[in-house]
Amino acid sequence: MSDDSLDLPQGTLDLLILKALSLAPLHGWGVSARLRAMSRERFDIQTGSLYPSLHRLERRGWIKAKWGVTENNRRAKYYELTRRGRDQLATESDAWARLVATVGLVLRTN
Amino acid sequence: MLRDLFSDLRFRLRALFRRTDLERDLSDELRLHVDIETDRLVRDGLSPVEARRRARLALGGVEQVREATRDARGVSFIEDALQDLRYAARSLMRRPGFTALAVLTMALGIGATTAIFSAVHTLILQPLPFRDPDQLMNIALVSPATSERPATLDGSWPYPQFLFFRDHQTAFESVTLAGPAGAVNVTGTNAERLGWEEIDAQYLPTLGVPLERGSNFPSAGDSLALAIISDRLWRARYNADPGIVGKSIELEGRSYEIVGVTPPGFLGLSGEADILTPLAVSAAESAGNVLRDGSFVVARRKVSVSRGEAIARVGLVGSALAEAFPSSAVAGAWSVVARDLDVLRLAPIVRRGLLLLFGAVLVVLLISCVNLASLLLSRAEARRREIAVRLALGARRGRLVRFLLAESVLLSLLGGVVSIALAWAGSVALTRVSPNGVLDSARNFGGGIGVVRVSSIHLDSTALAFTFAMAIGVGLLFGSMPAVQTTKPALVDDLKDGAAMAGGARGWLRFTSRQLLVITEVALALVLLAGSGLMIRSLGNLLRIDPGFDARHVLTLQVSVPRDEYNREAMPAFYAELTSKLRALPGATDVAFADCLPLTGFCGGARLQVGDTPPGDGTQLPMVGPRWITPRWLATMHVPLLSGRAFTDADRIGAPKVVLVSATAARQFWPGKSAVGRKVTITMDGFKNAEVIGVVGDVREQLETSSTPDVYLPFAQAPHPDFVVFIRTSGSPSSLATAARKAIWAVAPSYSVYDVQTMSARAGASTARTRYGALLLGLFACVAMVLAVVGIYGVISSMVSQRTREIGIRMALGAGRGGVLRLFVGEGIGLAAAGVVLGLGGALAATRLLRAFVFGVETWDPATYVTTIAVIGMAAALASWLPARRALRIHPTDALRHD
Repeated sequence: MSDDSLDLPQGTLDLLILKALSLAPLHGWGVSARLRAMSRERFDIQTGSLYPSLHRLERRGWIKAKWGVTENNRRAKYYELTRRGRDQLATESDAWARLVATVGLVLRTN
Repeated sequence: MLRDLFSDLRFRLRALFRRTDLERDLSDELRLHVDIETDRLVRDGLSPVEARRRARLALGGVEQVREATRDARGVSFIEDALQDLRYAARSLMRRPGFTALAVLTMALGIGATTAIFSAVHTLILQPLPFRDPDQLMNIALVSPATSERPATLDGSWPYPQFLFFRDHQTAFESVTLAGPAGAVNVTGTNAERLGWEEIDAQYLPTLGVPLERGSNFPSAGDSLALAIISDRLWRARYNADPGIVGKSIELEGRSYEIVGVTPPGFLGLSGEADILTPLAVSAAESAGNVLRDGSFVVARRKVSVSRGEAIARVGLVGSALAEAFPSSAVAGAWSVVARDLDVLRLAPIVRRGLLLLFGAVLVVLLISCVNLASLLLSRAEARRREIAVRLALGARRGRLVRFLLAESVLLSLLGGVVSIALAWAGSVALTRVSPNGVLDSARNFGGGIGVVRVSSIHLDSTALAFTFAMAIGVGLLFGSMPAVQTTKPALVDDLKDGAAMAGGARGWLRFTSRQLLVITEVALALVLLAGSGLMIRSLGNLLRIDPGFDARHVLTLQVSVPRDEYNREAMPAFYAELTSKLRALPGATDVAFADCLPLTGFCGGARLQVGDTPPGDGTQLPMVGPRWITPRWLATMHVPLLSGRAFTDADRIGAPKVVLVSATAARQFWPGKSAVGRKVTITMDGFKNAEVIGVVGDVREQLETSSTPDVYLPFAQAPHPDFVVFIRTSGSPSSLATAARKAIWAVAPSYSVYDVQTMSARAGASTARTRYGALLLGLFACVAMVLAVVGIYGVISSMVSQRTREIGIRMALGAGRGGVLRLFVGEGIGLAAAGVVLGLGGALAATRLLRAFVFGVETWDPATYVTTIAVIGMAAALASWLPARRALRIHPTDALRHD
């Protein structure tokens, strides 16, 4: 994580990766680039967290991996969301929204 | 959720089995990551070299990433464990000496313990093979004290008292009188002699034995010619005939109707009974004048009655019984006690001996554990530097401990496997050691339960589980201590040069722990050595006793005449005919008959009345062992005739009654005077006022007890239907066995001939218990000694390695070879001496437990202890001399350079 930014708990990183993959299949580097873009350079995921998360998500069956070729003709492992992964993304997103709303509600009260 | 778990499992399995592929994939992924990052940086304007460097840095530590990813795969625990085991296996194979020693040490201790444990389990712990065996109790009669002896627990019940008890008791749902186990001749075609018990109608219900076929004996009714046979007899003799009920079997010439078949595996309380017949109570027994020797009462407690309550209620019935049957004895009255049937499983002395053996083997186990700890400690010491380096490189302590434990676990598993092999061999040996069932209960004291036998000792699943549990437990316990200790993070000492030499503070501590362990080993070994020394001396003393006859070259057989064929008048002629037939066998030099066998405890007793002394109270007369013999018996057995004359053929029915007495009897009844010519009366066979015609040498009944007064009566004047044939041979006695049988059957085809053995074998059986004890204790002592010697060798060896520099200096300064040798041998003997001092008190205390087993020595016998200590001293000297010799080969200059 970059200095001024946030510490993400593990579950949240998984959620972000699922979102990143929801638009198109990506390989590992691609996921970190996409997340950097989507967060306006605020999220810089370390490989030490990224790859374990990817493998964990693969283990749970929410993403699946396929070997393909990059534009530069390099062999790469592409990850894409499974149907279960999509469901999980939807569920988790809702849960996150509710969490944020509730926490915000509590914090705003005087 | 379930689908998640399912794919989770599939993924983990794939990760486990396709590890190399996945590792390669991960490498490719990470390499790609770096490549793409490099490209991007190059596009941003960096040089390729710089770009790659930055990219690599951004990736972070490759190994960490891989490790984290691997963890995320969720199988790292198993993978690591497998890797640990593989590495442990390799490192164990690299040190075969250490591995073999450790495995053997563990296997000796655990294997021996398992073997004895299986004996204890079979003989003592396993429940009796009856329904709800903890409800079964034995009711014993306590006969009042007389002038000759205190109140004793007597198994045998007079019949009237038994009936009284049965009718007045309230604690038991059924009570049965179990007769003594015996044997009966099955006559007719295929004559054989089989185990037999007389039982009442309550016997089978009390034991909870359902009949396989037919029905139980009726509780009332006159017909006693009924029989229940065993399953194995039904299959062997009747080919499992389904119409067996109603068929008949001929016993002793009488026909008995078979009414039932017992289930497979059941052979009565004696464990030998193929035939059960109803209890036939004679008139004399009903009146209480005659006791059925060897009978005992078994009762099944009501479910609602507790053990304590049953004992209390039985005591009350006992008081009522004492009132109803006033005793004519001097003091005290009858009383009754109840105890668990389990107490009859083993003769008390065999039970005690077995438990002592178990204690002894636990000592061996302790020693082997101590040895193992010492071995593992020294090994951990040797790897200290390696472990320190690993710790410094960042290995987690827990991981390292697990890695060290992997070795211990592997050693344990190996040790467990070898233990099983040793234990199996041990248990087989244990069953062989009791010939003729000498150690079994039923033979040893009449009326015991023969169901539990030494021959049934085997390794069962309990024993196996016990073995492995112990192996793993021991391995983990003694492996974890050094593992935890050596991984304590105090690295600086360990990494320094010369660490092995100085050892640091912890090293010293570890070394003295090994010394303490060895001292403990020697102390424990002393206990076992002293015990076995005492047993060996006892055995020697026993074997030195002159039994009074020559057991070599004598063949013995037992013959039984069926009761319906027995003709008292014709027996003397039969004896004569049989004698001449057997005498004619090639190799037979002498033939005689007697009623019982010496040294077996089978011979009975009777009361003797000397001369004209008034009979008085029947219990006041001295007990003698009467022996019925044919005239040639003394010559056949080489028993000397001390004065007077022996029996001749003239002493037969119709002639004046004559007897011979043993030297002890002569001394006891007619001290200082000649016994020849005196008159005695035996309470048997109408031998009133028989004349003593000679005195013969003592023949021992039991080696451990002193000679009893014996009286010999001529068979021709008082024949018996059961007798023993003694044949003295010029060659090997067993070679005549078949010929002798044939000869007897030629004269009397329907008579049973059984129990054919040489007299030497029987004599051997009489020392069996002591021999057994001496053998096993001796074996344990040897194992203990070997382990202790190995321990001393190890410690002195380490000492030599550690003090190499010191030795070099000493030798450079002029110390002679002798001096160096003396130094180390002195250390070794010092260790042993400390062990002896530590263990002496324990040894003296422990050997007191052998009081009942030793013969001819005191448990604190000084000669034995001195010898034992000398043996330990010599072994310690040898064990330290060997590594000390190594010290001599050290060159002073090499030693000074040594690290």
